[in-house]
Amino acid sequence: MGFWDKLVNLLGLKKKEVNILVVGLNNSGKSTIINHFKNEEEKLPEIVPTVGFNVEKFKNRNVGFTAFDMSGQGRYRDLWEHYYKDCQGVVFVIDSSDRLRLVVVREELDLLLQHPDISGRRFPVLFFANKMDVRDALSSVKIAAGLGLERILDKPWHICASNALTGEGLQEGVEWLTQQVREVVSNRS
Amino acid sequence: MSAFRRDKKEEEEGSGNPFQNIEKTTVLQETRTFNDTPVNPRKCTHILTKILYLLNQGEQLSTTEATEAFFAMTKLFQSRDVILRRMVYLGIKELSAIAEDLIIVTSSLTKDMTGKEDLYRAAAIRALCSITDVTTLQGIERYMKQAIVDRNSAVSSAALVSSLHLTKIAGDVVKRWVNEVQEAVNSDSVMVQYHALGVLYHIRKSDRLAVNKLVAKLSHMSLKSPYAVCMLIRIACKLLEDEDSSGGGSSDSPLFEFIESCLRHKSEMVIYEAAHAIVNLRRTTSRELAPAVSVLQLFCSSPKPTLRFAAVRTLNKVAMSHPEAVTACNLDLENLITDSNRSVATLAITTLLKTGAESSVDRLMKQIASFVSEISDEFKIVVVQAIRALCLKFPRKHSVLMNFLSAMLRDEGGLEYKASIADTIITIIEENPEAKETGLAHLCEFIEDCEHTSLAVRILHLLGKEGPRTKQPSRYIRFIYNRVILENAPVRAAAVAAMAQFGAACPDLLPNIQVLLARCQMDTDDEVRDRATYYYSILETQDKPLANHYIVEGLQVSIPSLERALHQYTMNPTDVPFDMKCVPLAAVPSEEIVNPSAKGGQADGMLISAASSGSKVLAVAATVSREESYAEKLRSVPELVAFGPLFRSSEPVELTESETEYVVRCIKHSFPQHLVLQFDCVNTLSDQLLENVRVEVETPTGYQLVQEIPCPRLSYSETGTAYLVFQFPEELGATVGTFNATLKFLVKDCDPATGLPDSDEGYDDEYMLEDFEVTLGDQIQKVTKANFGAAWEEAGATHCELADTYSLSNMGTLEEAVKNIISFLGMQPVERSDRIPEGKSSHTLLLAGVFRGGYEILVQVKLALAAAVTMQLTVRSTNPEVAELVTSAVG
Ligand SMILES: Nc1nc2c(ncn2[C@@H]2O[C@H](COP(=O)(O)OP(=O)(O)OP(=O)(O)O)[C@@H](O)[C@H]2O)c(=O)[nH]1
Ligand SMILES: [Mg+2]
Repeated sequence: MGFWDKLVNLLGLKKKEVNILVVGLNNSGKSTIINHFKNEEEKLPEIVPTVGFNVEKFKNRNVGFTAFDMSGQGRYRDLWEHYYKDCQGVVFVIDSSDRLRLVVVREELDLLLQHPDISGRRFPVLFFANKMDVRDALSSVKIAAGLGLERILDKPWHICASNALTGEGLQEGVEWLTQQVREVVSNRS
Repeated sequence: MSAFRRDKKEEEEGSGNPFQNIEKTTVLQETRTFNDTPVNPRKCTHILTKILYLLNQGEQLSTTEATEAFFAMTKLFQSRDVILRRMVYLGIKELSAIAEDLIIVTSSLTKDMTGKEDLYRAAAIRALCSITDVTTLQGIERYMKQAIVDRNSAVSSAALVSSLHLTKIAGDVVKRWVNEVQEAVNSDSVMVQYHALGVLYHIRKSDRLAVNKLVAKLSHMSLKSPYAVCMLIRIACKLLEDEDSSGGGSSDSPLFEFIESCLRHKSEMVIYEAAHAIVNLRRTTSRELAPAVSVLQLFCSSPKPTLRFAAVRTLNKVAMSHPEAVTACNLDLENLITDSNRSVATLAITTLLKTGAESSVDRLMKQIASFVSEISDEFKIVVVQAIRALCLKFPRKHSVLMNFLSAMLRDEGGLEYKASIADTIITIIEENPEAKETGLAHLCEFIEDCEHTSLAVRILHLLGKEGPRTKQPSRYIRFIYNRVILENAPVRAAAVAAMAQFGAACPDLLPNIQVLLARCQMDTDDEVRDRATYYYSILETQDKPLANHYIVEGLQVSIPSLERALHQYTMNPTDVPFDMKCVPLAAVPSEEIVNPSAKGGQADGMLISAASSGSKVLAVAATVSREESYAEKLRSVPELVAFGPLFRSSEPVELTESETEYVVRCIKHSFPQHLVLQFDCVNTLSDQLLENVRVEVETPTGYQLVQEIPCPRLSYSETGTAYLVFQFPEELGATVGTFNATLKFLVKDCDPATGLPDSDEGYDDEYMLEDFEVTLGDQIQKVTKANFGAAWEEAGATHCELADTYSLSNMGTLEEAVKNIISFLGMQPVERSDRIPEGKSSHTLLLAGVFRGGYEILVQVKLALAAAVTMQLTVRSTNPEVAELVTSAVG
């Protein structure tokens, strides 16, 4: 890599492109979160349950994100794995008001982390403890404990509480993700 | 000059097809590129093109291969390259039949279909509908409704055409879109209007009244789209045909008026469609034909080759049914003989052949001969068909025409072409005894050098059938035996069978035939050896009846049933020998089934499909006898298994008018000792759920009810089946008679939208059905006899005989008498005795059949025409009671 490219990279000027995978149970708010990040003119007027997946693009601080927003319904979860190989980051969305299904969340997360295309690779995993506005919602700390996030040692991870309807907490999360992506990229060069 | 041409050709080949050398595995490997980020649109587009190319070449992908390629393709949704995206849609559509988990692209496609990019929308709809099933259709329903009325005509058209495809998997859902479709019919776009009409018709088509209203309304609206008008004409024609076949047609129908008015439309397409429609309507009289023919005549001199072609092709068809109407165009047709378009020229000549006089035949044949080598097989077949018609019309010309045919037979050509020539020669032989020897001689010569196994087998079979009855049977043996020496196994086997026919029918040839058959027992092929041994052993016994049964007549049972029966026999070891009588007989294919253009094709197609020209050979192979298809259904009803093999099934009998609350038809199945009545019931009331649906009948005395199987549940627009099983009366005379029927059921009122009953309570109700008859014909299966004379003679010794004389005072012609007797007795006319040579005043009709229980019946009917028809009927049967039943049934 030439001097000029290095400099550009160091300064974080060069546009980076990353693919991220957005997963989580159905109704957790994945599509709503992604919609929030999009440009005003590209925003969808209404969010309906996803069938399969949608590809969405957005930018944060010169990093271009291509998000594969997967469907969380039970019968489509088996299809997530087709998209594991080429992702450079995972956003995992949890409905923090859905205490009942927290065990299901944990199961799906474990399956994800143990998958051959995921385990052993180093890339950031961002958790959104979404729907924090709902009464009775669990705090992000409780969710982290409930899912056993402390067990994740080979990947940088971060959890923030969020409200996708107002956008609260979303920026914090995506800032962290952007930061991580930059580090990974500059470490690699 | 010729050298230059060759260069040019080579050059073209050299620059040829860039995909010529691509290979499936390599291309599939390349799809890994789809996973790269960022996506390289140019590269990926190219790879997709290759996949599409391979699929269109007929390359087969396994489910795994297709699924992998499909998932790789889904990654391409991240690219915003328009060309690439549209290629992805095509890829999805092509793989939709093979790959799994297609559902994964649903949201992505829905987004594209409703998004801002117009270039995506129509194509996304088509792709989406190809991956949708009934369960996911609900989710996209409202987008489809919006798309149908979209302002963008491409989007609207795509949605409409896709709706039409979806009716196959979810007709009821599409029906709910009728308001949107109706709105689209008013569109300004010619395509949208056309497609919308197509969908609308499809939704309404089962409701004749609604279709009538639709046509009445639209025919006054002057539709903008000529395509839509063409379709409207076709719909109107179908209505007219239906009206006619149900007997309600009137000559001054507004439908016909509408079609006729289209002859003055400003669009050529519509004018042609109207003319074509009038010409093809069965009801059209010569007077009504005239304006249509003059339109076609005008088109004959159009500068547009397509119009000339369409016109002459249609005239060619009319020439068969109304030759006099076409004579008016003879001059125009003569001009087309030299048309630079050979297809037009061929059709012109063959039309003239059909309309022309005997004197012009030689001249026209010469003209055809001058370019027959330049036209394609398809048109050669047209020529052959014209020759066939000529032979029937001018029997004296048979030698000229036969020579022409045999020359064509020797030329290069595909199977279908050759088969049509052979067919024609066979028809000529059958129709014209004078042409028989020459015809057989031509065919013998042809099989000396015939590359089509199936055709050679057919001809050998014919030689075996006809050869022994010629003046000099021995001359055919050499031709047949040559096949044994030179050909592949199927042809050799057929040759062995043909030789055996000569052995059975010509005692003086028998010793020679036995020598030849003995040689064939050394053949390398099992089948050939088996046949040779079989025939040799039978002929060796010199037992004439035995040879008659097992060589001349051959198997009369249905082969699939025989296979099933034998299989069952081998499953349970037993000392009892296999009983051939327990195998259902094969129904003789009726003319109607042989010729698929008559009915079949029309009902299912979206519209009136053009008469298919499928050759006879193929059609026969595809038919399953009525009994076999019913037997399949009856076997699935466990209660019916005990009654033995199905012997005969009747045509369905309608027990209700067609537009009533409940539609019921009855099919009468005869088993050896039992009569099974199958009632197919349709509930046409959307606000009723019927339960415990059954039919009660009052039988003639002697019938005993054995079992009743009601239909437990019948919801709206469904067909359900109820059965009744009776034991036939001991006394055969009591088996024929009238049955009175009543439909009985429990009604639960329900919500038309959901079909759910309002409450669990219901009330009993009943509905009167029409009476129906159980006849002699219902208990007789048709069989053929290759040699009726031999069978009749043999029966004289073994069967009992009954004879009687009748006067058929209400029949005026021999044809009418023959038709009535055949349909009444339900037996098979053999040796073409149902055809009456013109101008004859007496005739002998020969019939063969088998009565349930396996009793053979042979009937000889001598008819004479004086003031009325008198008939002498002689019956020979293995069962005296059956013989009596036949004679008494006629009286
Ligand atoms: N109260 C509240 N509701 C939310 C929040 N985020 C999303 N929702 C609502 O939750 C519902 C589901 O949101 P989606 O974005 O469709 O969920 P998803 O995870 O994409 O669901 P699938 O596509 O089916 O996997 C919608 O009705 C949203 O309006 C949140 O933070 N608070
Ligand atoms: Mg979603």
